[in-house]
Amino acid sequence: MNALLAGLAVLIIGDSHMVTPNHLITTLHDDLVAQGATVDTYGMCGAVAADWIYPATVSCGKAERHGKEGPEIDRTANTPTYQIETLLAKHKPNLVIVEMGDTMAAYGQRDFPQAWIYQQVHALTGRITAQNIPCVWVGPPWGTEGTSYHKTFTRVKQMSEFLATVVAPCQFIDSTQYSKAGEWPTIDGQHLTAAGYKTWGADITSSLDQIAPQLEQRP
Amino acid sequence: MSPVMTRRHRRLTGLALLAVAAALQGGATDAAGDQLYPSGPPNGVAYIRFVNLAPREVTIVSPSAKIAIPADDQHRVGQFDAVTPGVALTGSAKLGEASKPIDLKLVPNEFVTVVATAEGANGLTLTVFRDVPTEFNALKSSLALFNVDKGCAQAQLVAGGSHMSVIAGVAPGAVGRRMVNPVKAELGVACSDPAQATPAKLGQLAAGERYSVFVAAAGASGHEVVAQRDEQALFRP
Repeated sequence: MNALLAGLAVLIIGDSHMVTPNHLITTLHDDLVAQGATVDTYGMCGAVAADWIYPATVSCGKAERHGKEGPEIDRTANTPTYQIETLLAKHKPNLVIVEMGDTMAAYGQRDFPQAWIYQQVHALTGRITAQNIPCVWVGPPWGTEGTSYHKTFTRVKQMSEFLATVVAPCQFIDSTQYSKAGEWPTIDGQHLTAAGYKTWGADITSSLDQIAPQLEQRP
Repeated sequence: MSPVMTRRHRRLTGLALLAVAAALQGGATDAAGDQLYPSGPPNGVAYIRFVNLAPREVTIVSPSAKIAIPADDQHRVGQFDAVTPGVALTGSAKLGEASKPIDLKLVPNEFVTVVATAEGANGLTLTVFRDVPTEFNALKSSLALFNVDKGCAQAQLVAGGSHMSVIAGVAPGAVGRRMVNPVKAELGVACSDPAQATPAKLGQLAAGERYSVFVAAAGASGHEVVAQRDEQALFRP
Protein backbone atom coordinates (compact mmCIF):
# COMPACT_ATOMS: atom_id res chain seq x y z
CA MET A 1 0.00 0.00 0.00
CA ASN A 2 1.28 3.44 -0.93
CA ALA A 3 0.81 5.98 1.83
CA LEU A 4 0.31 8.80 -0.68
CA LEU A 5 -2.36 6.99 -2.67
CA ALA A 6 -4.10 5.49 0.37
CA GLY A 7 -7.18 7.46 1.28
CA LEU A 8 -7.32 9.36 -2.01
CA ALA A 9 -10.61 9.56 -3.86
CA VAL A 10 -9.57 8.67 -7.41
CA LEU A 11 -11.75 9.24 -10.47
CA ILE A 12 -10.65 7.37 -13.59
CA ILE A 13 -12.09 8.15 -17.02
CA GLY A 14 -11.09 6.53 -20.27
CA ASP A 15 -11.98 5.14 -23.65
CA SER A 16 -12.61 1.56 -24.81
CA HIS A 17 -9.65 0.37 -22.74
CA MET A 18 -12.05 0.87 -19.79
CA VAL A 19 -15.22 -0.66 -21.18
CA THR A 20 -14.64 -4.43 -21.14
CA PRO A 21 -14.48 -6.40 -17.84
CA ASN A 22 -10.88 -7.60 -18.14
CA HIS A 23 -9.56 -4.22 -19.32
CA LEU A 24 -8.26 -1.37 -17.15
CA ILE A 25 -11.66 -1.00 -15.48
CA THR A 26 -10.64 -4.17 -13.65
CA THR A 27 -6.85 -4.18 -13.53
CA LEU A 28 -5.99 -0.52 -12.88
CA HIS A 29 -9.07 -0.05 -10.73
CA ASP A 30 -8.20 -3.09 -8.56
CA ASP A 31 -4.56 -2.05 -8.27
CA LEU A 32 -5.52 1.39 -6.96
CA VAL A 33 -8.08 -0.05 -4.55
CA ALA A 34 -5.30 -2.32 -3.29
CA GLN A 35 -3.23 0.83 -2.70
CA GLY A 36 -5.93 2.03 -0.34
CA ALA A 37 -7.62 4.51 -2.67
CA THR A 38 -11.35 4.94 -3.13
CA VAL A 39 -11.83 4.47 -6.85
CA ASP A 40 -14.61 5.30 -9.31
CA THR A 41 -13.99 4.38 -12.94
CA TYR A 42 -15.90 5.39 -16.07
CA GLY A 43 -15.22 4.34 -19.64
CA MET A 44 -16.81 5.31 -22.95
CA CYS A 45 -16.02 3.33 -26.07
CA GLY A 46 -14.80 5.50 -28.95
CA ALA A 47 -15.07 8.70 -26.94
CA VAL A 48 -12.80 11.66 -27.50
CA ALA A 49 -11.96 14.28 -24.88
CA ALA A 50 -14.77 16.58 -26.04
CA ASP A 51 -17.34 13.87 -25.37
CA TRP A 52 -16.65 14.22 -21.64
CA ILE A 53 -17.36 17.95 -21.81
CA TYR A 54 -20.32 18.39 -24.16
CA PRO A 55 -23.38 16.11 -24.10
CA ALA A 56 -23.33 13.58 -26.92
CA THR A 57 -23.82 9.87 -27.45
CA VAL A 58 -21.35 7.04 -27.89
CA SER A 59 -22.14 4.23 -30.27
CA CYS A 60 -20.33 1.24 -28.81
CA GLY A 61 -21.05 1.31 -25.11
CA LYS A 62 -19.90 2.64 -21.78
CA ALA A 63 -19.07 1.22 -18.37
CA GLU A 64 -18.64 2.28 -14.81
CA ARG A 65 -17.32 0.73 -11.63
CA HIS A 66 -17.35 1.88 -8.04
CA GLY A 67 -15.08 0.68 -5.26
CA LYS A 68 -15.07 -3.05 -4.82
CA GLU A 69 -18.24 -3.60 -6.84
CA GLY A 70 -18.05 -5.23 -10.24
CA PRO A 71 -18.14 -3.25 -13.48
CA GLU A 72 -21.49 -2.28 -14.97
CA ILE A 73 -21.28 -2.55 -18.75
CA ASP A 74 -23.83 -0.79 -20.95
CA ARG A 75 -23.63 -1.82 -24.61
CA THR A 76 -26.68 0.21 -25.61
CA ALA A 77 -26.19 1.93 -28.95
CA ASN A 78 -26.15 5.72 -28.89
CA THR A 79 -26.05 5.90 -25.11
CA PRO A 80 -25.62 9.39 -23.55
CA THR A 81 -22.12 10.36 -22.57
CA TYR A 82 -20.84 10.82 -19.04
CA GLN A 83 -19.98 14.43 -18.32
CA ILE A 84 -16.82 15.31 -16.43
CA GLU A 85 -18.31 18.12 -14.39
CA THR A 86 -21.13 15.85 -13.21
CA LEU A 87 -18.62 13.19 -12.20
CA LEU A 88 -16.40 15.69 -10.39
CA ALA A 89 -19.38 17.02 -8.45
CA LYS A 90 -20.60 13.51 -7.61
CA HIS A 91 -17.33 11.94 -6.48
CA LYS A 92 -15.31 14.97 -5.34
CA PRO A 93 -12.02 13.26 -6.27
CA ASN A 94 -8.57 14.19 -4.97
CA LEU A 95 -7.05 12.83 -8.17
CA VAL A 96 -8.37 12.38 -11.71
CA ILE A 97 -6.77 9.90 -14.09
CA VAL A 98 -7.60 10.34 -17.79
CA GLU A 99 -6.73 7.44 -20.09
CA MET A 100 -7.19 8.56 -23.69
CA GLY A 101 -5.31 8.81 -26.96
CA ASP A 102 -6.27 6.09 -29.41
CA THR A 103 -9.61 7.70 -30.26
CA MET A 104 -8.01 11.00 -31.25
CA ALA A 105 -4.81 9.90 -32.98
CA ALA A 106 -6.42 9.63 -36.46
CA TYR A 107 -5.00 6.21 -37.22
CA GLY A 108 -5.15 5.43 -40.93
CA GLN A 109 -5.11 9.07 -41.89
CA ARG A 110 -2.18 10.90 -43.39
CA ASP A 111 -2.54 14.09 -41.41
CA PHE A 112 -2.23 14.27 -37.66
CA PRO A 113 -4.99 16.67 -36.48
CA GLN A 114 -3.00 18.36 -33.75
CA ALA A 115 -5.10 21.51 -33.50
CA TRP A 116 -8.26 19.44 -33.11
CA ILE A 117 -6.64 17.24 -30.46
CA TYR A 118 -5.19 20.22 -28.64
CA GLN A 119 -8.49 22.05 -28.41
CA GLN A 120 -10.36 19.28 -26.68
CA VAL A 121 -7.51 18.01 -24.51
CA HIS A 122 -6.95 21.55 -23.24
CA ALA A 123 -10.68 21.96 -22.65
CA LEU A 124 -10.91 18.74 -20.65
CA THR A 125 -7.83 19.37 -18.51
CA GLY A 126 -9.15 22.88 -17.95
CA ARG A 127 -12.44 21.57 -16.55
CA ILE A 128 -10.54 19.38 -14.09
CA THR A 129 -7.87 21.81 -13.00
CA ALA A 130 -10.35 24.70 -12.70
CA GLN A 131 -11.49 22.88 -9.58
CA ASN A 132 -7.92 22.58 -8.30
CA ILE A 133 -7.94 18.82 -8.68
CA PRO A 134 -4.60 17.26 -9.67
CA CYS A 135 -4.75 15.03 -12.69
CA VAL A 136 -2.71 12.48 -14.59
CA TRP A 137 -3.15 11.72 -18.29
CA VAL A 138 -2.27 8.21 -19.46
CA GLY A 139 -1.32 7.92 -23.14
CA PRO A 140 -1.93 4.92 -25.40
CA PRO A 141 0.14 1.74 -25.49
CA TRP A 142 1.93 0.67 -28.68
CA GLY A 143 -0.69 -1.83 -29.84
CA THR A 144 0.13 -3.78 -32.97
CA GLU A 145 0.30 -2.82 -36.64
CA GLY A 146 -1.48 -4.15 -39.68
CA THR A 147 -5.03 -4.39 -38.38
CA SER A 148 -8.33 -2.72 -39.16
CA TYR A 149 -7.58 -0.08 -36.55
CA HIS A 150 -4.72 1.13 -38.79
CA LYS A 151 -2.65 1.78 -35.69
CA THR A 152 1.02 2.36 -36.43
CA PHE A 153 3.96 2.67 -34.08
CA THR A 154 4.95 5.93 -35.76
CA ARG A 155 1.56 7.54 -35.04
CA VAL A 156 1.44 6.19 -31.48
CA LYS A 157 4.85 7.76 -30.86
CA GLN A 158 3.67 11.02 -32.44
CA MET A 159 0.52 11.03 -30.34
CA SER A 160 2.40 10.29 -27.14
CA GLU A 161 4.93 13.04 -27.77
CA PHE A 162 2.14 15.48 -28.59
CA LEU A 163 0.12 14.61 -25.48
CA ALA A 164 3.24 15.11 -23.37
CA THR A 165 3.31 18.79 -24.40
CA VAL A 166 -0.39 19.56 -24.23
CA VAL A 167 -1.89 17.88 -21.15
CA ALA A 168 -0.34 20.28 -18.61
CA PRO A 169 -1.09 21.07 -15.87
CA CYS A 170 -1.93 17.37 -15.72
CA GLN A 171 1.05 15.05 -15.40
CA PHE A 172 1.61 12.74 -18.35
CA ILE A 173 2.27 9.01 -18.25
CA ASP A 174 3.71 7.73 -21.50
CA SER A 175 2.48 4.14 -21.81
CA THR A 176 4.93 3.38 -24.62
CA GLN A 177 7.74 3.44 -22.04
CA TYR A 178 6.45 0.19 -20.55
CA SER A 179 7.21 -2.07 -23.50
CA LYS A 180 8.91 -2.28 -26.83
CA ALA A 181 6.77 -1.51 -29.87
CA GLY A 182 4.59 -4.54 -30.56
CA GLU A 183 5.80 -6.39 -27.48
CA TRP A 184 2.37 -6.52 -25.87
CA PRO A 185 0.06 -8.69 -27.98
CA THR A 186 -3.38 -7.38 -28.86
CA ILE A 187 -6.65 -9.02 -29.83
CA ASP A 188 -7.35 -6.56 -32.64
CA GLY A 189 -4.42 -4.18 -32.99
CA GLN A 190 -5.63 -1.82 -30.31
CA HIS A 191 -7.00 -3.75 -27.34
CA LEU A 192 -4.57 -5.81 -25.31
CA THR A 193 -4.98 -9.35 -24.08
CA ALA A 194 -6.11 -9.87 -20.49
CA ALA A 195 -2.48 -10.39 -19.51
CA GLY A 196 -1.56 -7.14 -21.26
CA TYR A 197 -4.18 -5.16 -19.35
CA LYS A 198 -2.88 -6.67 -16.13
CA THR A 199 0.64 -5.54 -16.95
CA TRP A 200 -0.47 -2.12 -18.20
CA GLY A 201 -2.58 -1.52 -15.07
CA ALA A 202 0.31 -2.51 -12.80
CA ASP A 203 2.73 -0.29 -14.71
CA ILE A 204 0.39 2.72 -14.49
CA THR A 205 -0.01 2.14 -10.75
CA SER A 206 3.75 1.96 -10.37
CA SER A 207 4.10 5.28 -12.22
CA LEU A 208 1.40 6.82 -10.02
CA ASP A 209 3.35 5.72 -6.96
CA GLN A 210 6.32 7.67 -8.29
CA ILE A 211 4.27 10.71 -9.37
CA ALA A 212 2.19 10.90 -6.18
CA PRO A 213 4.58 13.18 -4.26
CA GLN A 214 4.45 15.68 -7.13
CA LEU A 215 0.68 15.90 -7.26
CA GLU A 216 -0.60 19.09 -5.78
CA GLN A 217 -3.10 18.34 -3.10
CA ARG A 218 -6.52 19.84 -3.15
CA PRO A 219 -6.73 23.00 -0.98
CA MET B 1 -32.41 34.67 -24.26
CA SER B 2 -30.17 37.72 -24.31
CA PRO B 3 -29.40 39.55 -27.58
CA VAL B 4 -25.81 38.37 -27.31
CA MET B 5 -26.92 34.76 -26.98
CA THR B 6 -29.21 35.14 -29.95
CA ARG B 7 -26.49 36.59 -32.10
CA ARG B 8 -23.93 34.00 -31.00
CA HIS B 9 -26.35 31.18 -31.72
CA ARG B 10 -26.92 32.60 -35.18
CA ARG B 11 -23.19 32.76 -35.82
CA LEU B 12 -22.65 29.21 -34.66
CA THR B 13 -25.52 27.90 -36.73
CA GLY B 14 -24.42 29.76 -39.83
CA LEU B 15 -20.83 28.65 -39.71
CA ALA B 16 -21.79 25.13 -38.77
CA LEU B 17 -23.86 25.03 -41.94
CA LEU B 18 -20.90 26.32 -43.90
CA ALA B 19 -18.74 23.58 -42.45
CA VAL B 20 -21.32 20.89 -43.13
CA ALA B 21 -21.74 22.07 -46.70
CA ALA B 22 -17.99 21.89 -47.16
CA ALA B 23 -17.91 18.36 -45.81
CA LEU B 24 -20.70 17.28 -48.14
CA GLN B 25 -18.98 18.81 -51.15
CA GLY B 26 -15.89 16.86 -50.25
CA GLY B 27 -17.68 13.53 -50.41
CA ALA B 28 -16.71 12.73 -46.80
CA THR B 29 -14.54 9.79 -47.80
CA ASP B 30 -13.26 7.80 -44.84
CA ALA B 31 -9.60 7.13 -45.44
CA ALA B 32 -9.61 4.50 -42.70
CA GLY B 33 -12.20 2.42 -44.57
CA ASP B 34 -13.10 -0.56 -42.41
CA GLN B 35 -11.99 0.92 -39.13
CA LEU B 36 -14.02 -0.49 -36.26
CA TYR B 37 -14.36 2.73 -34.33
CA PRO B 38 -13.47 6.28 -35.29
CA SER B 39 -10.10 7.75 -34.41
CA GLY B 40 -9.83 11.41 -35.21
CA PRO B 41 -11.78 13.35 -37.82
CA PRO B 42 -11.98 11.23 -41.00
CA ASN B 43 -11.18 14.09 -43.37
CA GLY B 44 -8.74 16.04 -41.26
CA VAL B 45 -9.60 19.46 -39.93
CA ALA B 46 -8.82 23.05 -40.80
CA TYR B 47 -10.26 26.20 -39.29
CA ILE B 48 -11.60 29.47 -40.69
CA ARG B 49 -12.77 32.67 -39.07
CA PHE B 50 -13.89 36.08 -40.26
CA VAL B 51 -12.85 39.38 -38.72
CA ASN B 52 -14.52 42.72 -39.31
CA LEU B 53 -12.16 45.68 -39.05
CA ALA B 54 -14.52 47.94 -41.02
CA PRO B 55 -16.57 50.61 -39.22
CA ARG B 56 -19.88 48.96 -40.14
CA GLU B 57 -21.39 45.49 -40.07
CA VAL B 58 -20.01 43.02 -42.63
CA THR B 59 -22.07 40.15 -43.97
CA ILE B 60 -20.59 36.82 -45.02
CA VAL B 61 -22.68 34.74 -47.40
CA SER B 62 -21.96 31.09 -48.22
CA PRO B 63 -24.05 28.72 -50.38
CA SER B 64 -25.77 27.53 -47.21
CA ALA B 65 -25.73 30.36 -44.72
CA LYS B 66 -25.48 34.07 -44.10
CA ILE B 67 -23.90 35.62 -41.04
CA ALA B 68 -23.44 39.18 -39.90
CA ILE B 69 -20.27 40.29 -38.14
CA PRO B 70 -20.80 43.41 -36.04
CA ALA B 71 -18.27 46.23 -35.97
CA ASP B 72 -17.90 46.55 -32.19
CA ASP B 73 -14.72 45.34 -30.53
CA GLN B 74 -16.53 42.67 -28.52
CA HIS B 75 -17.85 40.91 -31.61
CA ARG B 76 -15.71 41.89 -34.59
CA VAL B 77 -13.41 38.85 -34.30
CA GLY B 78 -15.26 35.65 -35.10
CA GLN B 79 -14.48 32.25 -33.69
CA PHE B 80 -12.57 29.61 -35.63
CA ASP B 81 -14.95 27.10 -37.16
CA ALA B 82 -13.85 23.69 -38.36
CA VAL B 83 -14.02 22.98 -42.09
CA THR B 84 -12.90 20.12 -44.29
CA PRO B 85 -9.43 20.63 -45.80
CA GLY B 86 -9.18 20.57 -49.59
CA VAL B 87 -12.79 21.58 -50.17
CA ALA B 88 -13.60 24.87 -51.88
CA LEU B 89 -15.20 27.34 -49.49
CA THR B 90 -17.05 29.81 -51.63
CA GLY B 91 -19.21 32.82 -50.96
CA SER B 92 -18.89 36.54 -50.61
CA ALA B 93 -18.37 39.31 -48.13
CA LYS B 94 -20.55 42.41 -48.24
CA LEU B 95 -20.10 45.83 -46.71
CA GLY B 96 -23.00 48.06 -47.69
CA GLU B 97 -23.15 47.87 -51.47
CA ALA B 98 -19.57 46.63 -51.81
CA SER B 99 -18.96 42.93 -52.29
CA LYS B 100 -15.91 40.68 -52.58
CA PRO B 101 -15.86 36.99 -53.49
CA ILE B 102 -14.57 34.28 -51.18
CA ASP B 103 -12.99 31.19 -52.72
CA LEU B 104 -10.62 29.35 -50.43
CA LYS B 105 -9.22 25.87 -49.97
CA LEU B 106 -7.55 25.08 -46.70
CA VAL B 107 -4.86 22.51 -45.97
CA PRO B 108 -5.05 20.20 -42.94
CA ASN B 109 -4.39 21.90 -39.61
CA GLU B 110 -4.47 25.31 -41.26
CA PHE B 111 -6.00 28.31 -39.48
CA VAL B 112 -7.27 30.86 -41.99
CA THR B 113 -8.33 34.34 -40.91
CA VAL B 114 -10.23 36.50 -43.40
CA VAL B 115 -10.15 40.15 -42.42
CA ALA B 116 -12.54 42.68 -43.95
CA THR B 117 -11.51 46.34 -44.05
CA ALA B 118 -13.26 49.35 -45.55
CA GLU B 119 -10.62 50.29 -48.08
CA GLY B 120 -9.71 49.70 -51.70
CA ALA B 121 -11.37 50.60 -54.98
CA ASN B 122 -14.94 49.71 -54.02
CA GLY B 123 -14.59 50.28 -50.29
CA LEU B 124 -14.06 46.68 -49.20
CA THR B 125 -10.86 44.66 -49.01
CA LEU B 126 -10.46 41.10 -47.82
CA THR B 127 -7.05 40.07 -46.51
CA VAL B 128 -6.50 36.36 -46.08
CA PHE B 129 -4.01 35.18 -43.46
CA ARG B 130 -2.87 31.58 -43.61
CA ASP B 131 -1.29 30.07 -40.54
CA VAL B 132 -0.35 26.44 -39.93
CA PRO B 133 0.74 26.38 -36.30
CA THR B 134 3.25 23.68 -35.51
CA GLU B 135 3.74 24.34 -31.85
CA PHE B 136 1.14 23.59 -29.20
CA ASN B 137 2.13 23.83 -25.56
CA ALA B 138 -0.24 23.90 -22.61
CA LEU B 139 2.35 25.68 -20.47
CA LYS B 140 2.76 28.62 -22.86
CA SER B 141 0.57 31.27 -24.46
CA SER B 142 0.58 31.69 -28.22
CA LEU B 143 0.60 35.28 -29.48
CA ALA B 144 -0.04 36.17 -33.13
CA LEU B 145 0.33 39.55 -34.82
CA PHE B 146 -1.76 40.08 -37.97
CA ASN B 147 -0.70 43.07 -40.07
CA VAL B 148 -3.69 44.45 -42.00
CA ASP B 149 -2.12 47.90 -42.39
CA LYS B 150 -0.54 48.48 -45.82
CA GLY B 151 1.17 51.55 -44.40
CA CYS B 152 2.92 49.55 -41.70
CA ALA B 153 5.86 47.97 -43.49
CA GLN B 154 7.37 46.19 -40.48
CA ALA B 155 4.84 45.72 -37.70
CA GLN B 156 6.12 44.59 -34.36
CA LEU B 157 4.56 43.55 -31.08
CA VAL B 158 6.39 45.04 -28.11
CA ALA B 159 6.05 44.48 -24.39
CA GLY B 160 6.63 46.43 -21.21
CA GLY B 161 8.01 49.85 -20.48
CA SER B 162 11.22 49.04 -22.31
CA HIS B 163 9.22 48.12 -25.44
CA MET B 164 10.96 44.77 -25.74
CA SER B 165 10.29 43.18 -29.10
CA VAL B 166 8.07 40.08 -28.88
CA ILE B 167 7.23 39.63 -32.57
CA ALA B 168 9.07 41.70 -35.18
CA GLY B 169 9.18 42.31 -38.91
CA VAL B 170 5.62 41.39 -39.84
CA ALA B 171 4.90 42.68 -43.35
CA PRO B 172 1.42 43.81 -44.49
CA GLY B 173 -0.72 40.74 -45.20
CA ALA B 174 1.49 38.52 -43.04
CA VAL B 175 1.13 36.99 -39.60
CA GLY B 176 3.85 36.46 -37.01
CA ARG B 177 3.49 34.04 -34.12
CA ARG B 178 5.43 33.34 -30.96
CA MET B 179 4.98 31.23 -27.84
CA VAL B 180 5.48 33.21 -24.64
CA ASN B 181 5.20 32.62 -20.93
CA PRO B 182 1.69 33.25 -19.58
CA VAL B 183 2.33 36.59 -17.93
CA LYS B 184 0.49 39.87 -17.57
CA ALA B 185 2.31 42.26 -19.86
CA GLU B 186 1.63 45.66 -21.35
CA LEU B 187 1.65 44.89 -25.04
CA GLY B 188 1.62 47.30 -27.93
CA VAL B 189 1.96 47.35 -31.70
CA ALA B 190 4.51 49.62 -33.35
CA CYS B 191 5.16 50.32 -36.99
CA SER B 192 8.31 52.40 -36.54
CA ASP B 193 9.31 53.77 -33.16
CA PRO B 194 8.55 51.13 -30.48
CA ALA B 195 8.08 53.92 -27.96
CA GLN B 196 5.05 55.06 -29.97
CA ALA B 197 3.33 51.68 -29.85
CA THR B 198 -0.45 51.51 -29.84
CA PRO B 199 -1.65 49.47 -26.82
CA ALA B 200 -2.90 45.92 -27.38
CA LYS B 201 -4.90 45.11 -24.28
CA LEU B 202 -4.92 41.40 -23.53
CA GLY B 203 -4.40 41.52 -19.76
CA GLN B 204 -3.20 38.38 -18.02
CA LEU B 205 -2.28 35.73 -20.58
CA ALA B 206 -3.46 32.22 -19.75
CA ALA B 207 -1.38 29.10 -20.20
CA GLY B 208 -2.42 27.04 -23.19
CA GLU B 209 -4.48 29.83 -24.77
CA ARG B 210 -3.97 31.51 -28.13
CA TYR B 211 -4.29 35.24 -28.78
CA SER B 212 -4.59 37.43 -31.87
CA VAL B 213 -3.51 41.04 -32.26
CA PHE B 214 -4.59 42.88 -35.41
CA VAL B 215 -3.14 46.17 -36.60
CA ALA B 216 -5.05 48.12 -39.25
CA ALA B 217 -4.87 51.59 -40.73
CA ALA B 218 -6.87 54.31 -38.97
CA GLY B 219 -7.20 57.82 -40.32
CA ALA B 220 -4.42 59.60 -42.17
CA SER B 221 -1.44 58.06 -40.43
CA GLY B 222 -2.79 56.30 -37.37
CA HIS B 223 -3.14 52.65 -36.46
CA GLU B 224 -5.99 50.75 -34.94
CA VAL B 225 -5.23 47.70 -32.81
CA VAL B 226 -7.71 44.95 -31.94
CA ALA B 227 -6.58 42.22 -29.56
CA GLN B 228 -8.39 39.26 -28.10
CA ARG B 229 -8.17 35.61 -27.13
CA ASP B 230 -8.93 33.16 -29.92
CA GLU B 231 -12.17 31.23 -29.72
CA GLN B 232 -12.57 27.89 -31.45
CA ALA B 233 -15.88 26.14 -32.02
CA LEU B 234 -16.18 22.54 -30.95
CA PHE B 235 -15.97 20.06 -33.79
CA ARG B 236 -16.93 16.40 -33.68
CA PRO B 237 -16.22 14.19 -36.69
